Amino acid sequence: MSPAGLGRFLARRLGIGAVLVVGITLVAFVLTHIVPADPATANLGQRALGDPAIVKAFNHEYGLDKPVVDQYFIYLWKLLHGNFGISEQSHRPVATDLGQYVPATIELALFAIVISVVVGVGLGVLAAVRRGRPVDSVLRVVSLLGVSMPTFWVALFAFYLFFYKLGWLPSGGRLSPGLQPPKEITGLYTVDALLHGQWSLFVNALQHLILPGIVLGIFTVGTVLRFTRASVLEVINNDYVRAARAKGLPEWTVITRHVMRPALLSIATVAGIAFGGLLSGTVLVEKIYSWPGIGQYAYNSAVNLDLPAIMGVSMVVAVIYILINLAVDVLYSVLDPRIELR
Amino acid sequence: MKNNAAAGLAAVVSTSALVLSTLAASPASAAGTSGRTLVIDNSFALVTADPGHMFEPTGELVDNALYDTLVTFNGGNFKKVVPDLATSYQVLDGARKYVFHLNPRAKFSDGTAVTSADVVWSLDRMVNLKGNPSFLLAGETIKAAGPETVVMTSAAPNPGLPFILPNPACGVLNEAVVSAHGGTDAANASTKDTAENWLNNNSAGSGPYILKSFSVTSQVVLAANPNYWGPKPAYSTVVLRNTATASVERLDVERGTNEIALDLDPSQTQGMSNVQIIKGASPNLMFLFTNDNPKISKISSNPDFQKAVRYGIDYAGLLQLAGAGAIQAPGIIPSEFVGALPQSARARYDLSAAKSWLKKSGLKNPAIKLTYPTGLTVNGLTFDDAAARVQQYLQQVGINVTLQPQSVQVALNTYRAGTEAMGLWYWGPDYPDPSDYLTFAPGNLVGLRAGWTKSEAPSVAALAAKAATVTGSARDAAFQAYQRALNQVGPFVPLIQPAEVVVGTKGIKNLTSNGLWLVDLRNLG
Repeated sequence: MSPAGLGRFLARRLGIGAVLVVGITLVAFVLTHIVPADPATANLGQRALGDPAIVKAFNHEYGLDKPVVDQYFIYLWKLLHGNFGISEQSHRPVATDLGQYVPATIELALFAIVISVVVGVGLGVLAAVRRGRPVDSVLRVVSLLGVSMPTFWVALFAFYLFFYKLGWLPSGGRLSPGLQPPKEITGLYTVDALLHGQWSLFVNALQHLILPGIVLGIFTVGTVLRFTRASVLEVINNDYVRAARAKGLPEWTVITRHVMRPALLSIATVAGIAFGGLLSGTVLVEKIYSWPGIGQYAYNSAVNLDLPAIMGVSMVVAVIYILINLAVDVLYSVLDPRIELR
Repeated sequence: MKNNAAAGLAAVVSTSALVLSTLAASPASAAGTSGRTLVIDNSFALVTADPGHMFEPTGELVDNALYDTLVTFNGGNFKKVVPDLATSYQVLDGARKYVFHLNPRAKFSDGTAVTSADVVWSLDRMVNLKGNPSFLLAGETIKAAGPETVVMTSAAPNPGLPFILPNPACGVLNEAVVSAHGGTDAANASTKDTAENWLNNNSAGSGPYILKSFSVTSQVVLAANPNYWGPKPAYSTVVLRNTATASVERLDVERGTNEIALDLDPSQTQGMSNVQIIKGASPNLMFLFTNDNPKISKISSNPDFQKAVRYGIDYAGLLQLAGAGAIQAPGIIPSEFVGALPQSARARYDLSAAKSWLKKSGLKNPAIKLTYPTGLTVNGLTFDDAAARVQQYLQQVGINVTLQPQSVQVALNTYRAGTEAMGLWYWGPDYPDPSDYLTFAPGNLVGLRAGWTKSEAPSVAALAAKAATVTGSARDAAFQAYQRALNQVGPFVPLIQPAEVVVGTKGIKNLTSNGLWLVDLRNLG
């Protein structure tokens, strides 16, 4: 596809994405206002609630004393200026909160998806080429276990084994207690530590990523493994693969050039969806490993009926899904030039 | 050839695993600190470090270490206040006027002296910010009478004031420093003060620690205040880590990675060895109420029905549920506070008496809904479990209880509106003084939530009014009389004070639990 065509495609998709985001703000806003609860009740102490002046000051501060429709349009107007509002639970701009929590989750999800794709694709291909053999049977069981084991259980078990019993990995958090994070560039501690040349901090951050990252990735490994196996099996007996083998090409070349390329389309789809799921579904792992990410923030926002934060999280998750879907679509055309982006 | 491909793939997978295992081989410990470091695990209830806005347990722990108050408590003893910034105080005019004399040695972390002007400014700011803690000093006029004297006056007697002032929300800030960063004590401070953000990154107090870093989600780091005017703190660095799971806290302390765990319940401490386990009754009160308003429920407002409920609860069973360290609450005022009833005054489980009161009520097979906040736990005790027990006990009396769990925020609305026929709730102390529990009196905040108006019980209202004004040692008797009357005719059934547990490694000295600020960093050795 020509650069101009790609540009048009991206502009159109981003335009549709913007409309979607506005729609999502409306849905989130309506839903949070349907709940029969009051943000002042959720955020003020019982005695403070007994003082009308304090309740009035709270409602005024967060714009809750205005008609609901006005609140929505004021929110949209502020949003256009990059203002997500002030969080009722943290008293900080939601944008500041998101700027702190989103990178933490992105770092964790990226680690998990890299592990998942490397291990899942590797084992999936291995299972396919050894179809029907003991290795295949074992890997199918592994895959089944991966997708069926409850994440919280795996997280607690792994924590008990690798931290408490073996002492190989640190307890929760992004860094050891007392360590100061690297000066922020991307918000990803491992990346920022490397960019600042803080090697020991990089190692420490990476050590803290391993347990939650692997636990989070286990489910995705199972999924990617199953999809990879199925995709490889679909193409491995095609005539052009046989022809490649007949020409005497090494098996590694046959697999990587002739089998994997078509199989990668469905793997990219499942990995994209899984990455979105990892970004928005980390709450349990974040809780157990004390990982200050978007999952915990979303949970706390919902519990405290923190409307600006709920809206902010909803939008972030929506934007993430829109961008991931867009990236996967673009990737399709890269993997298979016959696919035209429209 | 196939074997080569498989071997290649296996090599990729195994290499990845090897890299990970190499990185995992030696987890680094905390670095970058010198001297003794204390690491505390706590499931954060933290919004801000600004005393003017702060009113959450973790915030109290932090601010108690950063800011001095006029008076304070020693350890977990809430029956007596001890000097902090004020060396002494006088109670005048029937507790309408207090005169505090400041310690001339007191100085802020920047080395400047703490003056009466700083005290007045800090307390006025806290009130005028109109935040969660503002009610603490509502109605108090605070003036300086010389550089080391502060006078607080109120129109009505306020005998509980010395027990309110230790709250870290009443912490004293360095006026010059905080003003320079947007702080104001003006009447419009709620809209004009902009110092909170600065105070979440810095501290401006006279406490034993200063704020090094602050994150409401991951950790708060405190460093010893080099200019502290009192005894030097035992730790050069204190790291407070947000740990959302109690089982993780247990493993951290057992392994010795972290020194103190603040969120274990009694059952989670079973089997722990080589650690200190401090257990005691928390000042949180779990109570049941039957709405006294016949418009809400003709059943719950029946006085004989209310007695049947009081006799029909198996308190020992609830205690078993709450675990070791919990106690039955004889009245609404926790056992640690002035005015608490003795254990001998607690309600007794008597199934036959409960059945006869139910018979006397004239209600046949009464059915009632019990509303409670689902998922909420108090000191490890979940409301869902406690409500199920209440349902089971009242079933034996002949009362059909339908459980109505609601999310906390939804349930709070019906509770506040006074529309629950029967409710299961808790009251955590805003400050450790019995005057905080006058709110249960007929016609007051919580009393009205149970549909209990002044006209329903004028004698109890009178006892509450009297308790609010008596001073000195007479307060004990006055608040006990108020509670006995409340137990006799009120719609409230005090149930239990759950156990409060602090677990620490063996090496920590003076480890005590504190119902307000969880653990006292000032006294730890």
